[in-house]
Amino acid sequence: MTATIEVNGLRKRFGPAVALDGMTFVVRPGHVTGFVGPNGAGKSTTLRMIVGLDRPDAGTATIGGRHYAELTRPMRHVGALLDPHALHPARTGRNHLMWLAASQDLPGSRVDEVLALTGLADVGRRAAGGYSLGMRQRLGVAAALLGDPPVLLLDEPFNGLDPAGIVWMRDLLRELAAEDRSVLVSSHLMSELQDMAGHVVVVGQGRVIAAADVNDLVGEYASLETAYLELTAGAGGIR
Amino acid sequence: MRAALRAEWAKLRTGPAGLAVPLLLAGLLAAAGAALGDRAIDPVQLRLLGVRLAQAAVAAAGVHLLAGEYGTGLIRTTLLAVPRRLHLLTAKAALLTAGVVPVAVLGVGVAVATLPPGAAMLRAAAGSVVYLILIGLLGLGTAAVVRSSAVATGIVLALLYLMPMILRMVPDDDWQRALYRLTPATAVQTLATTVDTAALPMGPWAALGVVAAWSAGALALGALTLCRRDA
Amino acid sequence: MILRAEWIKFRTVPTWTAGLAAAALLVVALGCLFASGSQMSCMEGTREVKCPAPPTNADGVAVEDKFTFVHRALTGDGSITARVGELDGTITYPPPNHDQIVSGIVPWSKAGLMVKDGTNQGADYAAVLLTGAHGVRMQHGFTHDQVAPDFASARAAWLRLTRAGEQITGFVSADGTTWQKIDTVRLKGLPATVRIGLFVTSPSGVTVNEQSQGGHTVQARFTQSTARFSQVTPAGGWTGTLVGHSDYRTGWQKTHPPGHTESGGVLTVAGAGDIAPQTHAEGLPVERVLTGVFAGLVPLIVVAVLCGTAEFRRRMIGTTLVAMPYPGRVSAAKAAVVGAASLVAGLAAVAVTLSVGLRMLGANDVIVLPVPWTTTLRIAVGTALLLALAGVFAYGMGSLLRRAVPAVVAVTALLVAPPILAVTSVLPPGLGVWLLRLTPGAAFAIQQGVPAYPQLSAPQTVFDGYFPLAPWAGLGVLGLYALVAVAAATWRLRRGAA
Repeated sequence: MTATIEVNGLRKRFGPAVALDGMTFVVRPGHVTGFVGPNGAGKSTTLRMIVGLDRPDAGTATIGGRHYAELTRPMRHVGALLDPHALHPARTGRNHLMWLAASQDLPGSRVDEVLALTGLADVGRRAAGGYSLGMRQRLGVAAALLGDPPVLLLDEPFNGLDPAGIVWMRDLLRELAAEDRSVLVSSHLMSELQDMAGHVVVVGQGRVIAAADVNDLVGEYASLETAYLELTAGAGGIR
Repeated sequence: MRAALRAEWAKLRTGPAGLAVPLLLAGLLAAAGAALGDRAIDPVQLRLLGVRLAQAAVAAAGVHLLAGEYGTGLIRTTLLAVPRRLHLLTAKAALLTAGVVPVAVLGVGVAVATLPPGAAMLRAAAGSVVYLILIGLLGLGTAAVVRSSAVATGIVLALLYLMPMILRMVPDDDWQRALYRLTPATAVQTLATTVDTAALPMGPWAALGVVAAWSAGALALGALTLCRRDA
Repeated sequence: MILRAEWIKFRTVPTWTAGLAAAALLVVALGCLFASGSQMSCMEGTREVKCPAPPTNADGVAVEDKFTFVHRALTGDGSITARVGELDGTITYPPPNHDQIVSGIVPWSKAGLMVKDGTNQGADYAAVLLTGAHGVRMQHGFTHDQVAPDFASARAAWLRLTRAGEQITGFVSADGTTWQKIDTVRLKGLPATVRIGLFVTSPSGVTVNEQSQGGHTVQARFTQSTARFSQVTPAGGWTGTLVGHSDYRTGWQKTHPPGHTESGGVLTVAGAGDIAPQTHAEGLPVERVLTGVFAGLVPLIVVAVLCGTAEFRRRMIGTTLVAMPYPGRVSAAKAAVVGAASLVAGLAAVAVTLSVGLRMLGANDVIVLPVPWTTTLRIAVGTALLLALAGVFAYGMGSLLRRAVPAVVAVTALLVAPPILAVTSVLPPGLGVWLLRLTPGAAFAIQQGVPAYPQLSAPQTVFDGYFPLAPWAGLGVLGLYALVAVAAATWRLRRGAA
């Protein structure tokens, strides 16, 4: 299957608040795609809809032309880090990955591979409830990489990482994209994205404001940060 | 479906003793009936009184199996791994049943073991085991509807323990009788009865049918909620 | 300050206030539903009539006051002496076959001497009396009963009753020469002129049938007793009154009417009825309108448990302890807030339920068994306190276990399940009694309007709504559980928040 994410006309209301108002964009493999916008612009809701956690009122989100819920072993197609706290605090990090591996028909050896890859090999047998935010982020990345998926969705993956962790994450994402995967990363760190992303989708008030190559934006506005601030001026997220 | 089952099983195996504790407690409570002796008109019914406490633990196990994931947020990871929510609910129901059966059989078995066997006694014991399974599923279904473990537990316990008491306050006798037949609390008593069965409001299998309808209803409503609502 | 902070935290979670309101509404709604549908009618002979309110004694306790009284006036101090014996009578259609009228007396048949403030039902009295199987006793005010120790199984005896002002003293003698005092009682406000004389009465014969589904049914049958009073001094001047009798007579009574005959100085008195506190048979216990409390407890328990667990689940306890670094006081303040909120909700619910429910019952001609106003107040305030303590207990368990499901299950199993299991199952009454002594479910004793009296033949077990502990003692058990739960939760919080 192709690793393209297609988001087409997503709409969603939470009570009186409009969260998504016709969100439409495409994420293609081969480079990191930045997903930026003010708080409350609809980034997390869009990511949750791609993996079927939230139901859109209208519109579709597909991966390689298929809905997430239609995939038989979904984590082999899409790896997602949406909420680093979505785990049972009393279960060890390794066991958290073990049951996920079981659900995707993956061998237990794969768990140790991703634990090593994310630098958690030493703490894998400790209860995940005791992990720092940075360690939880790494565990979330480990879970996302478990199925070696061609598509990766990461919501604010830099949160809570130490400087070394940020460098590690940047290199990892770049590497994954270079392996011809689609990598969609939501973040508020414009300098990180400027270094790392090839493409960027700027959203505000539940829809796409701009979708462009990072190089083009930097060329036009001098930096990604300036481009972001100019583009989202007046598009306050929280209403 | 197989993957969903495997995931749930792995979760149970690796996880904190979330299901084992209430289920063991249920087995112990059911078995505790053995200590009640047999000085009663209906010794089988006396021995099976433990089932009425065990049902709370079984219901709690059912509630916890799903609502616990909402409590910790784990559900969001679970739905990434098993995005087909019906599969998830089915897997959890299957696993819960597999967990309840041995403790219910053992608990109820110990409770009635020293009584003289007979068709009525075996029927009461088997009925009680099936009843416990159905109550576990009722808990699971309720948890799928309301998600909060405390609220789900409250609803199920109210249904199990308070309905008869509340129904006594219904003024119209015909309504009272009709509603009384439709509560699970009536069923647990009906199932356990081996003496004077003719005086019961309904037969044991009909009673089991009532409970099954409650459980099926809760599971169906739960499945609907699970599929339609955001995680 | 801490209290205020915790109060703001409590009332700003909409689902919690909603849960508390739901608890109060359930109590009110179920009480009103029950009251609106209740009906009561009585038979007077073959005619259906509105039930009469039972008479009450000086304290406002509902009583039965029905007997044959052979009396005369006594002004000032004085006494009466007589030999009482040959208690005999009739029991209609007793078991096993319920097909015959047999002769015999029931254990609480009464024959003796009485001083009474007139012949109206409920008028104050004191009496020495011989019973069918409980020996010689002195009774007064309908609720007080004292056995004569050496005459606990007497079949006949000399009895004497003396009045000195408001003091009435009862004596008993085996031979009419050596007298033994049973008791001296004070009848407050007894007027100068009272009625003094002989009386006989005989309560219903009662059999209790255990049910295969648990509990029991009670059969009651009409009985009548006669007794012979000899060597009555002073003698003469008798008037006979059937206190509390209607004009209606069954066929058997027409040929065997209650009353008295006198021949050769011996009076033979026949009577039926009882002089005793009223049990539930003649009216609805006031606490019945509050049965909805059971239902209201469930949302209350859920809310209170969530108050205890939410801080830990969302790791909010960190925020709380940073703002107020005193775990002990924080825990106590939370308990106080939960308790106070439950108390207010409970008081409101109980006040509305009692006032509306009792009015609706009155409109439906349902007789609510009269109890002293202090008892009604105790039931009302006690029920609200029960809800408050239940809230504190549930909060404590939630905060101690830090998990909602086990806490809700544990509190429900300990508080709500025992009274239900004890009352509506085949659990042997002996076990049920212990359950209602040791579990927090004992607290429902606070709702018991009519206390148990040993001098009654009707069954007074847990099945009949009688709790083994006294009202406040029962509530105290719940209080103790609540205290221990909160103390343990505080201790655990002190050891570490995580």
